[in-house]
Amino acid sequence: MQKFINALHTLEDSVLVGILLSIIFLAVTQIGLRNLLDSGIIWGDSLLRILVLWVALLGAMIASRMDGHISIDLASRYLNEKWRHRVELLAYLFSALVCGITTYYSVFFVYYEYLDNTIAFAKIPAWVCQTIIPFAFAIMSLRFVLSALRHLQGRPPETCLSDDIV
Amino acid sequence: MIVFIALLLVVMAFFGAPLFTVILAAALLGFYNNEVDLSVIAIEIYRIASTPILLALPLFTFAGYLLAEGNTSSRLVKLTSAFIGWMPSGLAIVSFFTCAFFTAFTGASGVTIVALGALLYPALKEAGYQEKYSLGLVTTSGSLGLLLPPSLPLILFAIIAQQMGYGEQVAITDLFVAGLLPAFLMLALLSAWSLWYNRNDPIPRESFSLAHVKTAVWEARWEVPLPVFVLGGIYSGFFAVSEAAAVTALYVLVMEVFLYKEIPLNRLPKIMRESMLMVGGILLILGVSLAFTNYLVDAEVPSKLFELIQDNIKSKIGFLLTLNIVLLILGAILDIFAALVIMVPLILPVAMQYGIHPIHLGIIFLANMQIGYFTPPVGMNLFIASYRFNKPITELYQATIPFMLVLLIALVFITYIPELSLMFISH
Repeated sequence: MQKFINALHTLEDSVLVGILLSIIFLAVTQIGLRNLLDSGIIWGDSLLRILVLWVALLGAMIASRMDGHISIDLASRYLNEKWRHRVELLAYLFSALVCGITTYYSVFFVYYEYLDNTIAFAKIPAWVCQTIIPFAFAIMSLRFVLSALRHLQGRPPETCLSDDIV
Repeated sequence: MIVFIALLLVVMAFFGAPLFTVILAAALLGFYNNEVDLSVIAIEIYRIASTPILLALPLFTFAGYLLAEGNTSSRLVKLTSAFIGWMPSGLAIVSFFTCAFFTAFTGASGVTIVALGALLYPALKEAGYQEKYSLGLVTTSGSLGLLLPPSLPLILFAIIAQQMGYGEQVAITDLFVAGLLPAFLMLALLSAWSLWYNRNDPIPRESFSLAHVKTAVWEARWEVPLPVFVLGGIYSGFFAVSEAAAVTALYVLVMEVFLYKEIPLNRLPKIMRESMLMVGGILLILGVSLAFTNYLVDAEVPSKLFELIQDNIKSKIGFLLTLNIVLLILGAILDIFAALVIMVPLILPVAMQYGIHPIHLGIIFLANMQIGYFTPPVGMNLFIASYRFNKPITELYQATIPFMLVLLIALVFITYIPELSLMFISH
């Protein structure tokens, strides 16, 4: 089971890396085409914007896997071990709930767009580009639930902080 | 009921729930209360994909992470030392300038303290500077340079202002110009103060040597062109900001991996992941805040806020003073990106009613945030430095206070002399 999860994580990371590389090369290609040949890929800029959305939401998904989201977290500095534990559990459950609600309503958003059949760029319909929204929020919700469970068992999360970046 | 839930949300934020979930919950609640279909929230998040300038964010962030990972920091110190190390208090001044430049490119995420501070702190002590002074210097310099282009907070401020419909007044390129003088004022005051502070300490001075300059320039030969074409490209209008970001990302990637060969290919995925984790965090907060801001505007919160403030504060000076105090506190508690997306939509319309130019407000905002980074008791850089240099946090409070006072003086100038920010902008 753990192997399967690790494989999923690697896949997730790879997609993220692939998208970032595509963004860099597509953006530079567009500049080159515009300045050298006075042309460009017509749907290139639209695709770039969609890729930014995808890279952001994938990054956010991975951040919730690794407890890497921006937070204030003042209480845990001043609470004792027992209360900090309770408070963190509560925060995870709250986050899971909010992401769950957002997932539910973004599914409707994608469905409405599917009915409208708007085109995002080239011949790709907009709803396809938007599926990342409910998907990302569903995964984040799931991960907050898992974090809560892990927390109950007293296991630490996979950390995002490498040795050199505090 | 609403008040109770709002309080609950604030409590959740203090309990450590990710800020985006707190803002998201607030937006959902607001829309629910106004009987708006909640799937509107997804429309708002999808707006990330209709804002062209956001492209600059992942690209500059990635470039910054790469620079932090390689040995750019040590080459930068060498280069600056070769040019200005001969001055009295030379190494201290070198430290200010390198940190500022490094932070402009890498963001004030603590990476300056980790990468440069670890290098400069022992060097400063060895050169004969007092321990307390050295510690204060590296901690405060971790956020120096926020006002210099192409720092992400500057870009983000422009993006938020543009989303609010102030696009014509807040071009990113104008903001890039506006930050220059205030940033140099901070550097100048810090340098002057250091000269005075170290006047009695026997710190041996280095002599200027052309040979040193040549070696340092040669070692940094791939980095030297970077600011020239990034900033030159933007200021001359040859590149749009997002284009400059794309070129920077590719250039730094090639430089670190193939020219300096400091980052092995197999480390790249990890660096990419870490940088995008940060981008994801920022953009998600931005997305949900746009939704929340829309709710606030619908509910006429900014205009109510303005009335409330105007009842109590009549003058522009009074407003600016209050603003400074509020922002200093916020800067200490909140992450800079979170502070931007939450506070700018509220403050900007109010500030404009008091006749403050939006670009000037942006500079004031970030100057405050910069100081907030090391404002006791909870400024983030204090904790990073305490961890990194293995010093008790109380020692850091003492060490940073003189630097903080100097920067507060700079802040007074920046706040009450708008021309510092607006001199070179047609407004």
